Amino acid sequence: MKISLTLNGEARELEVEPCRSLLDVLRNEAGLPGTKKGCDVGDCGACTVILDGKPVNSCLVLGVEAEGREVTTIEGIQPAPDRLHPLQEKFMQLGGAQCGFCTPGMIVMAKALLDENPSPTEEEIRFGIAGNICRCTGYTKIVEAIQAAAEEMGK
Amino acid sequence: MIGESVRRPDMPGKVTGRAQYAGDLSLPGMLHAKTKRSTVAHARIKRIDATKALAYPGVKAVLTHHDVPRVLHYGSPHPRSASVTKDQYILDSRVRYWGESVAVVAATSEEIAEEALDLIEVEYEELPAAFTVEQALAPGFPPIHERADNLVVDPVVVRRGDVDQGFAEADLVVEGTYAMGRPTPAYMEPNVCVCRWDDDRLTVWISTQTPFMVRGSLAEVLGLPHHKVRVLVDHMGGGFGAKQDLFQSEFLCALLAQRTRRPVRMEFTRKETFLGGRSRHPGTVWLRQGFKKDGTITAREARVTFNSGAYGSHAPGVTAVGTAALTSLYRCDNVHLEGRCVYTNTPIAGAFRGYGVVQTYYALDIQMEEAAERLGMDPAELKLRNAVREGDLSPSGHPIIGHGLEDCIRRGVEEVNWKQIRGQGRKTENQEDSDPGPIRRGWGMGCEMHGSSAYPGIKEQGNATVRMNEDGTVQLFTGTTGLGTGAHTALAQVVAEELGVRFEDVSVVHGDTDVVPWDIGAFASHTTYMGGRAAQMAAAEVKEEVLAIAAEALEASPADLEIRQGRVRIKGSDRGISVREAVSPKKGLPTKQLIASASYTPTKSYSFAAHFVEVQVDTETGQVDVLQVVPVHEIGRVIHPVAAEGQIEGGIQQGIGHTLTEDYIVDPVTGRSLNAGFVDYKMPLSMDMPPIRTIILETAPDPGGPFGAKGVGEDPIIAIGPAIANAVYDATGVRFRHYPITPEQVLEGLRQKRKG
Amino acid sequence: MRRFEYFEPATLGEAIGLLARYQGRAQALAGGTDLLVELKEQLRSADCVVNLKKIPGIGALAFDAREGLRIGALVTAREIELSEVILRLYPSLAQAARELGSIQVRNRATIVGNVCRASPSADTLPPLIADAAQVTVNGKNGERHVPLEDFFTGPGRTVLSPGELVTELRLPAPAPRTGKVYIKHGRRKAMELATVGVAVSLSAADVRIVLGAVAPTPIRARRAEELLRGRKIDASSIERAAQAAVEESRPISNVRASAEYRREMVGVLTRRALTKALEATR
Repeated sequence: MKISLTLNGEARELEVEPCRSLLDVLRNEAGLPGTKKGCDVGDCGACTVILDGKPVNSCLVLGVEAEGREVTTIEGIQPAPDRLHPLQEKFMQLGGAQCGFCTPGMIVMAKALLDENPSPTEEEIRFGIAGNICRCTGYTKIVEAIQAAAEEMGK
Repeated sequence: MIGESVRRPDMPGKVTGRAQYAGDLSLPGMLHAKTKRSTVAHARIKRIDATKALAYPGVKAVLTHHDVPRVLHYGSPHPRSASVTKDQYILDSRVRYWGESVAVVAATSEEIAEEALDLIEVEYEELPAAFTVEQALAPGFPPIHERADNLVVDPVVVRRGDVDQGFAEADLVVEGTYAMGRPTPAYMEPNVCVCRWDDDRLTVWISTQTPFMVRGSLAEVLGLPHHKVRVLVDHMGGGFGAKQDLFQSEFLCALLAQRTRRPVRMEFTRKETFLGGRSRHPGTVWLRQGFKKDGTITAREARVTFNSGAYGSHAPGVTAVGTAALTSLYRCDNVHLEGRCVYTNTPIAGAFRGYGVVQTYYALDIQMEEAAERLGMDPAELKLRNAVREGDLSPSGHPIIGHGLEDCIRRGVEEVNWKQIRGQGRKTENQEDSDPGPIRRGWGMGCEMHGSSAYPGIKEQGNATVRMNEDGTVQLFTGTTGLGTGAHTALAQVVAEELGVRFEDVSVVHGDTDVVPWDIGAFASHTTYMGGRAAQMAAAEVKEEVLAIAAEALEASPADLEIRQGRVRIKGSDRGISVREAVSPKKGLPTKQLIASASYTPTKSYSFAAHFVEVQVDTETGQVDVLQVVPVHEIGRVIHPVAAEGQIEGGIQQGIGHTLTEDYIVDPVTGRSLNAGFVDYKMPLSMDMPPIRTIILETAPDPGGPFGAKGVGEDPIIAIGPAIANAVYDATGVRFRHYPITPEQVLEGLRQKRKG
Repeated sequence: MRRFEYFEPATLGEAIGLLARYQGRAQALAGGTDLLVELKEQLRSADCVVNLKKIPGIGALAFDAREGLRIGALVTAREIELSEVILRLYPSLAQAARELGSIQVRNRATIVGNVCRASPSADTLPPLIADAAQVTVNGKNGERHVPLEDFFTGPGRTVLSPGELVTELRLPAPAPRTGKVYIKHGRRKAMELATVGVAVSLSAADVRIVLGAVAPTPIRARRAEELLRGRKIDASSIERAAQAAVEESRPISNVRASAEYRREMVGVLTRRALTKALEATR
């Protein structure tokens, strides 16, 4: 099946098998392997992308369901090729990433969170990323990075 | 630069999604491989027929035990070491645990490969299966491998002094049996490898901690010379020790690629990371200690029994290290320790952060608390009194340097106001005037020590090559792998500091066995300690050469020069030249290649930790929540504070999981895995993790490490467990001697306590 | 996933026709957060997948002070979680929605999907039953309505036949000062399948207590309700009702929890839910 979608702000046309998840389509047909497959069944959040403004597990969306929609992946988070998003800066600076495998999904989820709630409390942040598993950081520095980014963005 | 949290060079790639992991690689013509796994725990394969699968459109190759070399492999053959066992075939005519690989398919898409798995016909002749150590050791139970006694290796025995005398002198003897469940590493990146043949050369892209082991194993099993096997590791999504092994998949992937003459990718599903991966060794520790009235330990006796699962993997190493650890932490001159590891028909246990010490120190630390109570002493006081210190013999046979453990205990006690905060749980219960409600709070502490390097089990070697380019920038070639901890950044900091150049002027070349010096792999908390020291040594040699060149240019003696921030200066003056000026090619003069290699065989250095934990127990539901953790770690010298803290906080997450919610469970009747996924294998998530207030001490630097630095990766996961168990005791008065501690068990414990 | 045929019917009639034609071998796709997982884990198979999301008229969430609440088939858990009117008037449902999976899951998972999946531990079922929800079923023979508490026949089984679709849930408008509470028991604070779920709806007129994850389907704790209906509700009658609820539950033991522990939690959670609901009625 042929689908047309807007991917990271760009119009794309892709040839897609119905049984393939959006995650697999992004990583293969669309050439964007930044979004990771941690479990493939919606338990870990590593595959989080923003679909029509809402964060979803791309492993639980069929590729064909993205027809006519807007998808943002980690590759589309930075505002310009030479400028990183404050979340990306703070994750780097404050130790929000170690092995980095959960990081794309985590940053995308954090962006969706801050888009909806620009100054979340720590509790709201932890609630917001409850569906993103990290096995390296213990979450402390991820929360700090999101708080710091929120503060930065609030200026 | 040392002690500064510089920007890690791997970070931009990771936060933008550009960092490449082995599963991101796409090669022209690449096939996808899937694995068929057994649905019985112990059986002979009577018949396996892949004809229909081979005929399925899109399938390019199928391998069963009929099609692969019948060669035993180690898994992770650390050379010259007794850490691992050689007991697994690539594919065997027998399966020894539910989920073991029986066949693999390579096809043009994942979907086709999956569909083809259904077409492979297997007939099993079931054999009696043992799912517990008791069953496997029962008289008459048939051997799972070669040994009739179902032990993986001969038992480990460690003796020092005279235990009988020690117990005779004791005023108090405490004894107990402690039991450990089965946590798994659950790294976020499932195991994956891609293999491609170019004529008779094999290239492997893989997520592994031990690329040279992968090279060596593949070469041996496939009959290739090492220079025809190239292993590439770029970014890795975690390993935690478990990605040291080879999992049948690497050989199978290489063989599929060989047969099809096309690149093949084999990636585990999450479920397969459980079935085909490695867990921590479950087991029991029987422990008995003698104490004098004043708390001095006079004797220690222990029997450690680990459950290896169906294959040996790291059984020898984990058993030896875990057992030998009991000679230390709390000083005791008279010890008699025995450790053994038993085969069962369950998923394979292997290397996992903490390596046997998580289990044995859980027992030891909790028993210290039991003794403290009976002696009428504060447990912190008892532990401080017996804490190992300068000069004491460590488990490796070396003297301990400094007073790191005492420093951690003292600092933590002060930080949390230890003497004031304990006993609140009991106080709440005793309030008669108001209804205290079902919640009880408590504080506990747990201590640990852990060595950087696998000495003496393995006499490891760290190798490094440092090369200065003609513009004064530097490249460090290191064989150490990057699991994602930031260790490579630390190595670059070490080189920059040693050489006197800026951090930005150093880059690290890693992950290609054709290019980097041989390395045993990243494990045993030794990358910073061993790899870092080797890097420092190589950098020091290059520095000497730079000074010699600069000395000529400055007409001074090299001894009068120093290098700082990339500038060579005459000490005490402003006169100097930049490093770049000194080494750049001069017209008409040859450029000298500035390159040095160094090899470092360390002994061992020990890091220490004391964790202080507050828990909350709901006495109606039995739920235990960790409210806050104050981990105090002594690690000699911090190279990169954020990275060190990150290791500590991450290890705490895993340890909280071990102690309260994580257990990989196998059906006691069929051996089937019951929770091979993240729904029912429950790791603490963002809302479950408490605030962590990390304190790092540098009071006992080790001259064997770069600038005195020691390891930190494994320490946190060892200390947190007993701290939690001890805090639960403080909150409820119920003593638990096992992990994980489930809510049901808490309720049962409270019930028993009310009765008795 | 194994390969399948894929359809995006433009009308309800088309969808029903497809499902009827393929009998049990067609699967309806709304949120996909159960279906795709089960296809990947081979717990279900599909020769064909019918995506319902292009069908008009089944995606609305509407409240009317007299008619009550209408939840269309495509309404997501996240919409429920964030709906001001649901937070105010159906707070137990909002609480259940909020605890379902993660935000990422809730942005896709539908309430009707949660109902049709009919897992005994599904979070939204106890509050929906406590709130006297009704199911609107559409099939070849037209439309019928089924009280939600009669909709389930076993774990994962409902009264739907192949070719039938649930298009809507309807909940009556709540009486003033109704206390509605849902408490979920799980080992972690998020991403959990309930080991026990208790929903209570308490007003001057009626009391409904629904237990999840302790029987093949969600069940009304009728004897517990009897002990409270028309009586003074205080700590001791609540305690007796909680005990009765324990006796009415028939949980199994599995990797998540033992039957004994689940029974005990029924008592604790029922007591806590009733206590909290009572406060809300004041």
